[in-house]
Amino acid sequence: MTILARPPEKITAKKEQRRRGVTERQRPLWLLTPGGVLMVLVILIPLAVALWISLIDLDQYTLRRWVEAPFIGLDNFVEAFGSGLLNSIWISVSFSVLSTIATVPIGIAAALVTQNKFRGRGLVRAVFLIPYVLPSFVVATVWRTMLQPDGVVNAWLSKVGIEGGLWLTGPRSYWALILVEIWAAWPFIYLMALAALQSVDHEVHEASAVDGAPWWPKLYRVILPYLRGPVLLACLLATLNHINNFTLPFVLFGAPAPEDVNVMPMIVYVTSFQSLRFGLSAAMAVLSLVLIAIPLFVYLRAVRLDVHEEGGRR
Amino acid sequence: MNPKKLTALAGVAALALALAACGGGDEGGEGGAGKTLNVLIAANTQYPDEFAAWQKDVSAKFKARTGAEVKFETFASANDELTKIQTSVVSGSGPDVYAVGTTFTPTAYSTGAFVKLGDEEWNKIGGKDKFNPATLGISGPDEQNQVGIPWVSRPFVMAYNTDMLKAAGIDKPATTWDELGQQAKQMTKGDEFGLAIAYKDNFDPWKFVWGMSVQAGNPLVDGKTAKLQDPTVQKAYDTYFGWLTRDKVVDPAAVGWTNPQAVAAFAKGKTGYFMLTTPTAINSLEQGAVKGKWKFALLPTVPPGATTRPADGVEAASILSGDNLLVADYSKNKDLAFEYVKLVTDQETQLDYYKKFGNLPANAAALQTLASDPQLGPVTEAAQKSVATPFTGAWGDIQLALTNVAVQSLPDLGKGSISTQQIDSRIADAQKAAQTALDRAK
Repeated sequence: MTILARPPEKITAKKEQRRRGVTERQRPLWLLTPGGVLMVLVILIPLAVALWISLIDLDQYTLRRWVEAPFIGLDNFVEAFGSGLLNSIWISVSFSVLSTIATVPIGIAAALVTQNKFRGRGLVRAVFLIPYVLPSFVVATVWRTMLQPDGVVNAWLSKVGIEGGLWLTGPRSYWALILVEIWAAWPFIYLMALAALQSVDHEVHEASAVDGAPWWPKLYRVILPYLRGPVLLACLLATLNHINNFTLPFVLFGAPAPEDVNVMPMIVYVTSFQSLRFGLSAAMAVLSLVLIAIPLFVYLRAVRLDVHEEGGRR
Repeated sequence: MNPKKLTALAGVAALALALAACGGGDEGGEGGAGKTLNVLIAANTQYPDEFAAWQKDVSAKFKARTGAEVKFETFASANDELTKIQTSVVSGSGPDVYAVGTTFTPTAYSTGAFVKLGDEEWNKIGGKDKFNPATLGISGPDEQNQVGIPWVSRPFVMAYNTDMLKAAGIDKPATTWDELGQQAKQMTKGDEFGLAIAYKDNFDPWKFVWGMSVQAGNPLVDGKTAKLQDPTVQKAYDTYFGWLTRDKVVDPAAVGWTNPQAVAAFAKGKTGYFMLTTPTAINSLEQGAVKGKWKFALLPTVPPGATTRPADGVEAASILSGDNLLVADYSKNKDLAFEYVKLVTDQETQLDYYKKFGNLPANAAALQTLASDPQLGPVTEAAQKSVATPFTGAWGDIQLALTNVAVQSLPDLGKGSISTQQIDSRIADAQKAAQTALDRAK
């Protein structure tokens, strides 16, 4: 038996070896070339140039011969920290996290509401997407008009006996920014939550129905765990989007921005295009890139979005 | 072939192709009449059709004169233009002629990318004498180093409501800032206000502060020293904010106004003066309730707190505002470029441009023909009494710092009061920013 059993084993081993050889050694990697070249051209080279610019004293006076601009090491980074960047980082991060925290319950609730079929569901779903598909510029312009001292918002507030005041300058501008960002960004969470809801197997609903689970435990213990992964990913992406949002604060408040909403993209913009300190602004941009990379890295390590491994398991 | 080698080869090939594509931007080249001149000019969103027609017209005239084509490229905002200048300056190719705003001219000059104008160049365009002398004030740091050729003027003036002034018993518009404040008080009652001011505008506030300081004898920049921490500047901000907080002659909603909103407020016919406007606002005013009941006047030229201008004060009616034409240093068509400049600064072309778009001629003879127009009289006078802002590459930053004082003070204005200490500490910040910028200036 044992003697008879050996030869087939050998054959499979050989076969497997050959197959692995094909997949690993002779994979047609060159097919990645177009994408690779594009990545080098569009991402890596500009990134390298940005890093280089952050190390030289590039401004309007040296722009013409930028290759010869004096190398000043980390001076730009030192100056960046001295010129209000830390404050901007704090504003950016707190604004982004608050906006994300506020949009999650709204997004999930909206997804749950439109999960079951009812008349006009398609319409409701479409309406929910309006804030998301409107260009940021339009959203900001409309809100800027509404938030004027003598605008619609203050008129409504005064009807219920609340004194509106200034929304686009001073400490309140921070909350105005968060409010508008929430208005514009919650449909993203909604979309991701909706997609996750639709991936819940039909059997799960049936099983909880058979067990007679009331709606709340069903929602809390059965459905929401399904949403965890996609919504966490949505939170990460949304937060990064908030941090990077330039159009909204720029159109809402203009440049120079009130100190309370001097977010990172604004300070980089003003340094670059109004003060023409390209080296300094590149250093600021590099720092904000590092800042954004940290949560991204942590998240990617945590969830291990390794498709290959997962595919192998299945 | 080894896949790795193949990958590398493909990569190099693609890179070379892409770089070749980037490099091929020059048009015209060596070809006599077949040449093309590239001109970068601000887009005109107010009169787009007329602007297209004007471009066509100028192209035809230019072709008749030189045989070459003009290709216009437009930019929507100052930032677009800056980006274009940056990329052109770095790559050494791009438009041959740039139309650049006056306050941006020092910045453009500091890049060193434009032709310095000697006698030969000035002669090519018909001589320096053909321009309104005031407009040459921001062509360069000194007579030997000029790059900007005046093209159009947009001097700032104020508009006043003739009916409201008359009703308040005022027979002529104010010529000193104190008088202005006094008249504004006389006209403020009920829902009527003395002044319309765009406090939240990102460009207006510094013009008031600069004007009042220059009239009091402080040009804000003295060589390499910023002079923002100065009683004249302090007084200027105090007056400017005081109209709202102390005199209460401005609608409290003005804390949120940009310049177009202030125009709209004045056009309703319930405001005595609209400070800081240009002839481009004529259309908006003529469409409002104020139609036929308004006139332009020179901005006051006697500093706040004074009845006559001090000896070292300058009669600055407006910042020197408008557009200059700059010829790129890298241009291969410099002769054609100067031909174009000559064409568009000639009397006939300048008057035509004024009629279409409301920008005043920089050409002295053309400007003179408009002086007799009663509506434009004060504007042409303002064009002659315009004073250039300091010619330094740091001016952009100084302007920004001055505006920032106003921006950061808005919450206090909204509450209705601002203290001298608050103003002083913000001016101190501005002084620091301005001095840093001047220290970097080369």
